Amino acid sequence: METPDQRLFEEDILSAEFRAGVLKGYWGLAAAEVLPAALAWPTRILWLAAAARPNAPEHFYIQLNVAGYRTVAPTGTFWDPDTKSVLDLTKRPKGKPESRCAKVFRTDWQGGAAFYHPYDRVATSDHPQWKTDQANKIWTSAHTIVDYLDEFHSLLNGGEYIGV
Amino acid sequence: MAHEELELFVHGQGAKPRVIKASTGDILRDVLIRFEVIKEGPDEFLVFIGECEEALAEPDETDDGIDKHAPVDVTLTVEVLELKRHRHIHIHKCRHVAVEVNFNGKTKRRRFSPAATVGVVAHWARKKFHLDAAAAAEYVLQLCNSADRPRPATHLGELTEPPKCAVCFDLVKELTPQG
Repeated sequence: METPDQRLFEEDILSAEFRAGVLKGYWGLAAAEVLPAALAWPTRILWLAAAARPNAPEHFYIQLNVAGYRTVAPTGTFWDPDTKSVLDLTKRPKGKPESRCAKVFRTDWQGGAAFYHPYDRVATSDHPQWKTDQANKIWTSAHTIVDYLDEFHSLLNGGEYIGV
Repeated sequence: MAHEELELFVHGQGAKPRVIKASTGDILRDVLIRFEVIKEGPDEFLVFIGECEEALAEPDETDDGIDKHAPVDVTLTVEVLELKRHRHIHIHKCRHVAVEVNFNGKTKRRRFSPAATVGVVAHWARKKFHLDAAAAAEYVLQLCNSADRPRPATHLGELTEPPKCAVCFDLVKELTPQG
């Protein structure tokens, strides 16, 4: 039976904002054939389109724990549909040195197990100062999965993203 | 010829967008009444199709530009209006939205279609203020006198309602997480 957080997540997946992004090829839920056999709530796997870069994929997959959605912020990292596990650090997207993109996708913090961004539950609990320093990027119950996807889609399609 | 059912996105003044379904053979006006987007009777709203990107092609030297994006005849069918390609329908009373963008003590102005997105305005503003292309994406639009930064896909018409047909933004740099 669906829990309230799962029901809310499923509703947001049907929203105009999410669906319009799917039709534009910006993001989407991972297809059934790439999902691991025992994927259970609160884990969800989605993909994000990335700008064309030499030797880099057109899409990156992310595995999110969305327990407590939307009250609680998601947390997660890149995922490999071939190995059906967390994406190896050598295959992660990278940004220009010192750029915002490089910082958010850094792999030298928490072993790359979460995004270094105020939308991420683990990152924010590790950085209480972000609640004031980055107040407009702190996750609230008014945010949806579209805010999360839009943020990371922008980073993967900006001029500071350099590939893998 | 068989008609196809399409997933369409309806945007309007001061509201979040919604999903509706329509057949390519449907008259757009009938669809909008069926989904209670508009009411029977004289049309009080302008209906725009698609997302207007005219500003992206505007020459740099143009000041106070204006979108030509025109409202459509809602008695035409979904197919004739090419909604399979456009997907977005915008219902608004404003013919244009007057936009001001402030950056470094300067202001750029333009009148956009209500169906232009915040992303298009941001792109236009970064060009107008001659921001370096590589770093430009780090600059985003924030509503004046607020901390709100609407998502790039937000239509301008969602941010304003008559009698005010205007939106003011500051162009601000995204902070890089530190610490």
